[in-house]
Amino acid sequence: MSILRIRRTWHIVALATAMALGAAACSGSTGGSTAGAGGKPPTDGVLTVGLLGDIGQPPDPDIYYANNGTAIMINAYEGLVQYQNDTDQVKIAPRLATSWTVGANHTVYTFHLRHGVTFHDGTPFTSAAIEPSFQRRLAVKGGAAYMVAGVKSVRTPDPYTAVITLDKPNAAFLSYLASPFGPKMESPTALTQHAGTDHAQTYLRTHDVGTGPYELTSAVSGTKYVLTQYKGYWGPKSPFTTVNLPVYSSAAPLQLALDSGDVSAVVAALPSSSLGHFASDPNVRNYFLPTLQSSLLTLNPSRSFFATKQARLAFLKSVDQQKLVSQVLGKRSSVATTLYAKGMIPGGADKQSIGYDPSAMAAYAKTLPSGTAMTIGYANGNPNAQNMAEILVAQMQAIGIKATAQGYDTATVFSWPQAPKKGPDAFVDGNNGPDGGDPYMWGHVFWDASGGIDYFACDLPSVDTALNQAVKSGDTNLYVQAAEEYAANGCYMNLSYNKDWVVAQKWLTGVPQSQNLGANELNFSLLGIAK
Amino acid sequence: MIRFVLWRTGAAAVLLVVLSALVFVLQQISPGDPARAYVGGNASPAAVAAAHHRLGLDRPWPQRYVRYLWHALHGDLGISLRTHRPVTTDLGQFLPATAELVLFSFVLALLLALLFALSGALRWPGTGLYRGVLLLAGTAPAFLLGLGGIVLFYGHLHWLPEAGRGVDTSSPTGFVLLDSLLHGDTGAFTDGLRHLLLPGLALAVAPAISIGRILRAGLERTFGADYVRTARSKGIREVQVLWRHVVRNSLDATLSMAGLQLGFMFAGVVIVENVFTWPGIGYYLAQSIPQSDFPAIAGVTLLLGGVYIVVNAVVDVLQAVADPRLTV
Repeated sequence: MSILRIRRTWHIVALATAMALGAAACSGSTGGSTAGAGGKPPTDGVLTVGLLGDIGQPPDPDIYYANNGTAIMINAYEGLVQYQNDTDQVKIAPRLATSWTVGANHTVYTFHLRHGVTFHDGTPFTSAAIEPSFQRRLAVKGGAAYMVAGVKSVRTPDPYTAVITLDKPNAAFLSYLASPFGPKMESPTALTQHAGTDHAQTYLRTHDVGTGPYELTSAVSGTKYVLTQYKGYWGPKSPFTTVNLPVYSSAAPLQLALDSGDVSAVVAALPSSSLGHFASDPNVRNYFLPTLQSSLLTLNPSRSFFATKQARLAFLKSVDQQKLVSQVLGKRSSVATTLYAKGMIPGGADKQSIGYDPSAMAAYAKTLPSGTAMTIGYANGNPNAQNMAEILVAQMQAIGIKATAQGYDTATVFSWPQAPKKGPDAFVDGNNGPDGGDPYMWGHVFWDASGGIDYFACDLPSVDTALNQAVKSGDTNLYVQAAEEYAANGCYMNLSYNKDWVVAQKWLTGVPQSQNLGANELNFSLLGIAK
Repeated sequence: MIRFVLWRTGAAAVLLVVLSALVFVLQQISPGDPARAYVGGNASPAAVAAAHHRLGLDRPWPQRYVRYLWHALHGDLGISLRTHRPVTTDLGQFLPATAELVLFSFVLALLLALLFALSGALRWPGTGLYRGVLLLAGTAPAFLLGLGGIVLFYGHLHWLPEAGRGVDTSSPTGFVLLDSLLHGDTGAFTDGLRHLLLPGLALAVAPAISIGRILRAGLERTFGADYVRTARSKGIREVQVLWRHVVRNSLDATLSMAGLQLGFMFAGVVIVENVFTWPGIGYYLAQSIPQSDFPAIAGVTLLLGGVYIVVNAVVDVLQAVADPRLTV
């Protein structure tokens, strides 16, 4: 055999390999939905909602306390109440309870339950399910166990009435129950059957025990979650018998999948830089839906740069809030004008009154030694926060301060309350919000050192006291007083009201009607297909 | 030889212990709070403190380290703070995907390397384009190559999928291609192959060039050797000359490089898996790092470190078998 023949043989091998690979590439996929390029509606009843990043924790309603996994929580499980869909006001709406009364001192809550509801294992839902659900939440000690920690007793005068008594007055209790992280009703039969040695935690990593419109039928961490329509659901049913929730590790492939029609909808996951792309895409619809989320600016009084209240207030006044929000966040946000989330205080009495005036900061900068450095932090993986931090850095540099922007991992950010001196001088939180719509849930979490996200332990005992008083009675004036006092300390600025930016194929209907400001995800049973 | 193998095994064990100690030191000096990841973002300081106690994070770190090593020796790598499952269970779930991707990429890299070397050494006409494309692709980092591949082959041409492994046939081996063949499911096999192509190529290109260059140098050296000329003059068929005398005698350094690259591929797979949402241990690691899930991070580090050490030890031993002078 000559060199020429060897060459020819190799050319044939190379060509055959390339053809085999090409054939594999060009052959159709055998999995997934029939939804495809061109944005046509699926004919097989499969809805595909892309997740950016994994849900981060097991899909267990008493453990889960993170972000996009609430899509599973609110579709596989139901609580007694929920926030009303399709409104930007904080209103409690019925779910498994059709009506309720609240005792005069906010200690006794009486619920009248919905008839004809069954859990996914067939067990009828009655008042007997409430206490075991609460008990399990306390037993597994998840981050949101606090919501039922104050429950003293659950009386069940009849199968469809439950009287919950708290150990002390709490006007926020209904908001706890309406929260996407709030206690969900779980089948007492299934909990007993699958209890194992860990209160059914192993079972609930891949199954559910709820009453929701969908059952969790597959859960592969980091890859894909599948919901299947529950045939015995008491409420409305959508044409989607299966909902696939594939996980994408980054925004670019998720965006391409939406472009190609492989993904039907994306909820609050794409970066603002993609707004322009989808605004001009005729195959999709963009929805900007209300939430309780905000972008926040927090200053660190433990660092010398912001040790004085005057310095902090001067910095906050130097922030051109209008420009910053519109420039970075665009249509997905609006400028925050209140200290709490939008709609928490009726009439917006909690007005944020930080006027734009850069002169005070410029004057403060002149008092500092030449080359004074400061750092503005942002959470890694949040491009909006990074953009805002960089704009603020540029402003500081323009007045002679050696400012830098630095990204931090989430775990690092959450370690600052214990060691605020290790944090940056300021932190831009691109998107954060409370567990629910009661003002206590905002003030306690963000302003009270015992709350959880008071990043730099900028704490005023008088504010904590006012909040703790207010939650007993629900007194709006007390909440406003607490907020104004905290704001005057200069540690905090509510930059924007953030919206859920939902991008959906044009054929998908019912998107605003399926969302509420607390959930940040869609109730898939309320979605439909345009005719 | 036995002494050499024992020495290599002992050294590998020491390296793994050092590796685990490094991960623990990193955990100690890291500002992140693993308990926060366990209970969730908005959890109160009281809930976080309770989680600290429950997870044993309030114990001194040397005590935790010794305890970790003891449990690791018994096959217990702890509980993932993110998935709340035993790390060994998680690794068992994710490892087959990584192994399949790396093995596929390795075979692909060997094929590409062989073509690269032969086309260069034999000066085939028209293959300059192939070498040029491969070299150009090799200059790009794997993540860029991956993203570019997704944009071109998924976004524009709609030929290949953008993420994942395709149809789930994760039994009995966890290798999609193998399982689909065992089930006789050609559709699943094709789908699995389509999902493997882009991440496989992204991972294979750089090693292919490294291996190909070494092989090409070896081929060029042996092509001109006296024994090759003698073989030809004796009338031995060219294909036999090529395989028996040229390729075989060029493989020594190439094998070393291939072993080294296989180890590197297990390390480099983290980036490629993350780009393609490939559900392997690299993706698992990438998800665990931002949440300071140290049991998971330590588990993956030990596993990847172990694979790297074992691959290199095997290569060393194979070389020693081929050339006993190396054991001296």
